[in-house]
This record gives sequence, C-alpha cells and structure tokens, in this order.
Amino acid sequence: MGDAVLTQFFSGFSLVAILIIAALGLAVIFGVAGVINMAHGEFIMVGAYVASVVQSGLGGNTFWSIPICFVAVGLLGLVVERTVIRGLYDRPLETLLATWGVSLILIVIIKMIFGTELHYVGSPEMLQGGFPAPGNLPFPWYRLFLILLSILLLVLTFILFFRTKFGLAVRAVRRNRTMSEAMGINTARVDMLIFAYGSGLAGVAGAVLAPIKTVSPTMGFPYAVDSFMVLVMGGVGNLLGVPVGAAIIGEGETILAFLFNSVIGKLLVFLLIVLVIRIVPRGIFGYQERTLGHRR
Amino acid sequence: MTTASTGLGGARLRLRREPMFPLWSIAGVAAVVAILATYPLYGTEYVMNLLGMFVCFSIFALSISLIWGFAGILSLGQAIYFGMGAYFIALSLKLSYAAENPTRYGGTIPDYMEWNGLEEVPTIMAPLMHLEVAIVCLLFFPTLLAFIFGVITFKRHIYGVYCAVITLAEALILQEFIIEYQAYTGGFNGITDYETYNNMYFLWIILGVAVVLFGATRLLTHSRIGTVLKSVRDNDVRAEFNGYEVANYRIFVFCFASMMAAVAGGLYAAWMGIVSHLDTGPILSIEGVIWAAVGGRSTVIGPFVGTFLVKGAEFFLSQQLAWAWQLVMGLLFIFVVKFMPDGIIGTMGKSIANRRMRSAYAETGGAYGAETLSIADRLRAVFAGGNASFMDYLFGRDGRRG
Repeated sequence: MGDAVLTQFFSGFSLVAILIIAALGLAVIFGVAGVINMAHGEFIMVGAYVASVVQSGLGGNTFWSIPICFVAVGLLGLVVERTVIRGLYDRPLETLLATWGVSLILIVIIKMIFGTELHYVGSPEMLQGGFPAPGNLPFPWYRLFLILLSILLLVLTFILFFRTKFGLAVRAVRRNRTMSEAMGINTARVDMLIFAYGSGLAGVAGAVLAPIKTVSPTMGFPYAVDSFMVLVMGGVGNLLGVPVGAAIIGEGETILAFLFNSVIGKLLVFLLIVLVIRIVPRGIFGYQERTLGHRR
Repeated sequence: MTTASTGLGGARLRLRREPMFPLWSIAGVAAVVAILATYPLYGTEYVMNLLGMFVCFSIFALSISLIWGFAGILSLGQAIYFGMGAYFIALSLKLSYAAENPTRYGGTIPDYMEWNGLEEVPTIMAPLMHLEVAIVCLLFFPTLLAFIFGVITFKRHIYGVYCAVITLAEALILQEFIIEYQAYTGGFNGITDYETYNNMYFLWIILGVAVVLFGATRLLTHSRIGTVLKSVRDNDVRAEFNGYEVANYRIFVFCFASMMAAVAGGLYAAWMGIVSHLDTGPILSIEGVIWAAVGGRSTVIGPFVGTFLVKGAEFFLSQQLAWAWQLVMGLLFIFVVKFMPDGIIGTMGKSIANRRMRSAYAETGGAYGAETLSIADRLRAVFAGGNASFMDYLFGRDGRRG
C-alpha cells in the first residue's frame, strides 16, 4: 500500500508540472493585468492544434512546436487583448464574461477548420520510454521533460519579472497602477505585452499537452478550471503561488483519486481549497493589500 | 406618490418616487401572462413546450440577476441549485412512476437503478417517492447549501472573481459527481421516462409561481433591504462603514436566489420530463448569466425579456444553422459586455430616467444645471410635464451598472 502510494506520488509530479505550465500564463495575466481570462483553456487548445499542424504539416516534433506555439498563441492573445479586453480593465468581472465569449468563438473556428474528430500528436522519439523509479511503474521520460520544462518556465518568468527593466515596470504596475502611470510607465503597453506573454505560455502548455492528451475542440475547459483553482489556492501575489498551489492540488488529486476515485478526489481537493481560502482569502501567497477596498 | 424635495436658492426639485407595483406594470404583466396562459388553446404543442421551458429558465435567470445585478455576487454555479431542484422532483416522479409501472424485468425501482445492479431503492432516497417530501427537500437543501457556501465565503470577504471561479468549480464537480454515481442519479443519460406534467393547467401553475417570484423580487429589491444590497454592490466598504453587516445581506439574498433557482428547476423537471447532468453544469450557469445580462441584470423584468429573446433566438437559429449558434452566442457575450452592460431593459430604463431627471430639473426653472439643457430638452420637459412615462413605470429605473 505504502509502495503504491509512493508510485502515485511520483506520477503526481507530472500532473503538478502540467498544472504549473497551464496556470503560469493565467497567473501572470490575472496577477498583473487583473484580467480573468476564461479563454485560457481555449488558448491551450489552440496551442495543441498548432502543435498538431507543426507535426503533420511541417514534420517537426514537440521541441519545434514549443516556440512556434508560443509565438502563434501569443499573437492570438495580442489580437484578443486589442479587440476585446481593451476598455474593460476597470471591470474584471466583465472581462470574465467577454473572454468566455472569445472561448466560444475559438471553439467554433477550430471546429470549422479541423472538424470535430480527435487529433493525435506523438511525443518526440528521444523522450519515449522511461526509466525505473521508486515504486513499481517506470517513470516516462516525457514526464521528466514536463517537470523540467515547468521549472524552466518558472525560472524564465522569474528572470523576466525580476531581472529586466520590463519586469520592473510590470511589478510597478502590479503594485500601484496610477503611480506607475504618473512615473511615465506606459501601463496600457505593459498590460498588452503581459497578456500576450501569458497567452504564449498557454500555447506552450498546449504544445506539451498535445502528445499526452487527445486533441479536441473542447479539451481546454477543464484545464482552465484547474488553473483557476491553482490561482485561488496559491494566490497571485507571488510567483511561488503557482508551484505551491499546483503541488497541493496535483498531488492531492492524484493520491486521493488512487485511494478513492477521481470524483471523490476532486471533491476533497475542492473542499480543501475552500478551507484554505476560508483561512487566507487571497490564497497562500496572496498579495496583502494595504487598502480596505477589496480587489474585485 | 411621495415627493422628495431639496432646496437650493428657493427653487425646489421634485422627484417622484415610483410606486412598488405601478398600474402600468401590473397591466403589462397581466397581458403577458394572459397571452402565455391561453396559448395552448390556439397554439401548437411544440411552442407550448418551449414557452413553459422559457418561463422556468426566466425564473432561473431572475435568480442570477438578483444576486449579480442587485447584490454584486457573480455566481457561475447557479445551475447547481437549479439542478438540485430538478433532480429532487425528477427522482420523486420517477420513483412513484416505477412503483406503479414495473419495468421489463418486473422490478418496481427506476429502470436505471436496475441497470446498475441495485436491488432496491436506497433508504435515503425512498421517502422522496412522496411528492410532498420532494418539495420540502427542494425548498430546504439548496437553501442550506447556499447558506453554508455563503457563510464560508461572504463572511471572509470572498466574492467577485474568486467567488465566480469557486462556484464554477463547484458546478463542474457536481456534474462529474452525477455522471459518476449513475446508479443513483441516472448518470450521463439523466432521469427520464416518468409521468410529466405537460399540459395547460401545469403551465398555469408555472406562470403563477413565476408571477409570485417576480413580484417577490420586485418587493425585495425595492424595499430597504434592496437599497442596502445595491449600496453593497456599488461600494461594499462604504456600506460596511455605515454599519451594515454586509456579509449577512449577501448570505440572505444568495439563499433566497438559490431557493428560487431550485423552484425553477423543480418546475422544469416536471414540465420537461427529462433531467440530466447538463442541467446542473457550468454551461447552463453561464447561459443564465448571459440571459440576465442581455435583458438587464439590474432590472426585475430584464431576465424574463433576455431569456425569451436569447433562448427563442437559439431555437430559431439552431434549426437553420446549428453550428452558427455558438458563434452568435460568443459574439453576443462580447457585444453585451462591451457595448450594453445595462442590457436591453436597463439601457431603456436609464435613458428614461435621464429624461425624467432632466425634465425635473427643467421644472425648477433652470436652477439645477439648466445650462446643460438644450431647447429641445426644455420643450420636452414642458410637454412631458415631469410625469413619469409609460416605459418608466413598466421597467423601473434601476439601470445602474453593477
């Protein structure tokens, strides 16, 4: 029993990695621009379709599709930001509804282009197979790749935020938008670029998810909800919120799903999330605001 | 009719407060109810089915509009309560139907339970066979769940985005729960094949319940509680500083709205004869939000108008171009949010309120902002005589954006 739980614990790492990759873009967008991007799951879905085109059309593997998806979905995010989100920044709840509309439209467009049948994307040859891990099951190389990629993306985002001039502007806008504007930071441009960056990360998530999941027009929504749960749990005040939230939710769901079943696992994790925000309403690493006005 | 007056330099500004149920609104509601209630006498059965369904959905949209438009709580899981109500009634009808009509294999339990290897109805579910028990459950359990949820979240100042996301996840989990435990809930196919109440008399019951609930909502939102709720919506911190226990108001209105949604669900189950996991999920919740938004989230009659327009268009369009409907829905979302946040009725009410305000100003002889009044405005004020118009009475003037 203990051995089996250990195996589950290791296989849970891959879910944690997936959650980190999926939630990072959302956290960046929500944390900085304050936009609730309900279309995030559909951005992931578009990324997965781009990856399938890269594989079938250009003959490239996942290593090729990651940068291509980043750019393609980032551009998509730029367009969405310019057309839909612009002008809604002071109404976060309404960005939620507007981006829900975007997600419906994206699903229809993808259905029109690719049809409703499932697409399959293979993983790169050098990542096939696995190596022995504690417990009984071999640990697939691809999952190790996912874990390393999630760490890499976290580090890159950290460097972008804390070691570049753009990151300084981003953090300033996040802390005090009005003051940053007064200091000459172009906050509209920061919002736009952050939205594109977050969307690009969703594209990367789609690219690496495509080989392990079936690619279909409706694949995105569950990832969006899971990513939101990660944000609610971890908080967006700090980049650490994403890995910590993802670790608790990912490991919790995997182990509880093994002990009971997947629905009970999800229910228990949900109750845990409710319990956590009952204690810390803005998540574990929530940004403690010094104003009485609550962030809506 | 009372007049509130305020003085500046001797001139008096007269603003009429509207009555709770103005004559025009009563007449309008009576006309709509009369048309719907007599429809089965001359219309087709297909359209009658749709109308009953739309009325149920409009009660559901009203519950969303009550918590979102009047109290500022955006719940993306309101279908949880709708679905709970629907499942209570559907289970009850199914159990009593199964007891009287043995299945092919001779069992007196619902067919889906038999397929899933249950020998008899689980003891917790057995009392639901009596419709009275089911109705009590329908009124009690959704309200209890809403109360628990409200105490957990609103007491800790969790609302807005966080509340929306959590309720969304809640709806998704309930949906998966229903699919997983199919021996008890009918699973993916839902509960169907029971005795439905699909006739003119039940349509009258639905309409009666709808009128009572819309009236109750109007009473609630235009009472003192409603005023507090609107102030909480617009600035909760200030409301708190004014001494109101904001969370309690939110919990109360959330419970009331959830019970309303459950009633709508119960009527829906009895009317439609089928209940499935789709009636509890996030999709229906968000559709309800768009119905309320299109009609006017901060109006009482808006959800009714929005539901009939959007749902009617859906049935009309999806017959012609099934794939296009989702596209239209998506564009509608973006359009309403970006360009018409008050919804149809809200926008109309707002322009009427503005006009009435202008004419009230004009009556003072230009003491208030007269320099902003054009000649046309003044003429209109003279002809309107500062009287509230027909539209104003019909739709109220709660056109504020939340």
